[in-house]
Amino acid sequence: MSDAKAERVYCPVCLAKFKFEAGWKEGSIVICPICGQKLRLARSADGWVGDRVDKGTEKEIRERSENFARLRGYEFSDIKEELIEGLLGKHKRFGDFYCPCRMEHVPEYQCPCKPTRGGDVEKNGRCYCGFFWKKT
Amino acid sequence: MADKPKVYALSTCPYCKRTKRFLDQHKIVYECIDVDLLDDDKQDKVLEEVEKLTGRRSFPVVIIGKEVIVGHDEDKLKKALKL
Repeated sequence: MSDAKAERVYCPVCLAKFKFEAGWKEGSIVICPICGQKLRLARSADGWVGDRVDKGTEKEIRERSENFARLRGYEFSDIKEELIEGLLGKHKRFGDFYCPCRMEHVPEYQCPCKPTRGGDVEKNGRCYCGFFWKKT
Repeated sequence: MADKPKVYALSTCPYCKRTKRFLDQHKIVYECIDVDLLDDDKQDKVLEEVEKLTGRRSFPVVIIGKEVIVGHDEDKLKKALKL
């Protein structure tokens, strides 16, 4: 019954795996339920992986953040556009969409950063840089 | 004023930009260091300074005389600059 075995998909943004849903196949476009990244499914030697759609573009980070906010029921602050600009600056200078308000350019601070994916918004009402806010 | 105010900032951070804009609007002459744009060696040294001053790596940091202001806080800036 190998077909019934729960398969998982690796997301290269949040570095975590999520459930492979029925009907998905090679090339399917899916949204990572953890970080909101749009992914194209591909098979690798280690199982399913998602390739980042529109990788490194403004479209990618805008879609990812909109998806993440929708999935979690968060809203944006009035400095959203300034933070998008900061994220684009991080990508330009440091190679990926790291939190614009942090010094460290490491995978766990890829936006939405690990603390935010882990529930910082519920705890503090907002994420570290104030991009995502709990709805009031 | 003895020393010029000093700002430690990140080039991508909107709050740091607001602090710089606030100082510019009030025609304050200040020294600004965009910490993320420094070479590694210099950056380590500056981050050490920031940690010593504030106990963390959070930006912006504004030094006005003996005052250390962490985060964009216009009330604190006004008070420290006697505006």
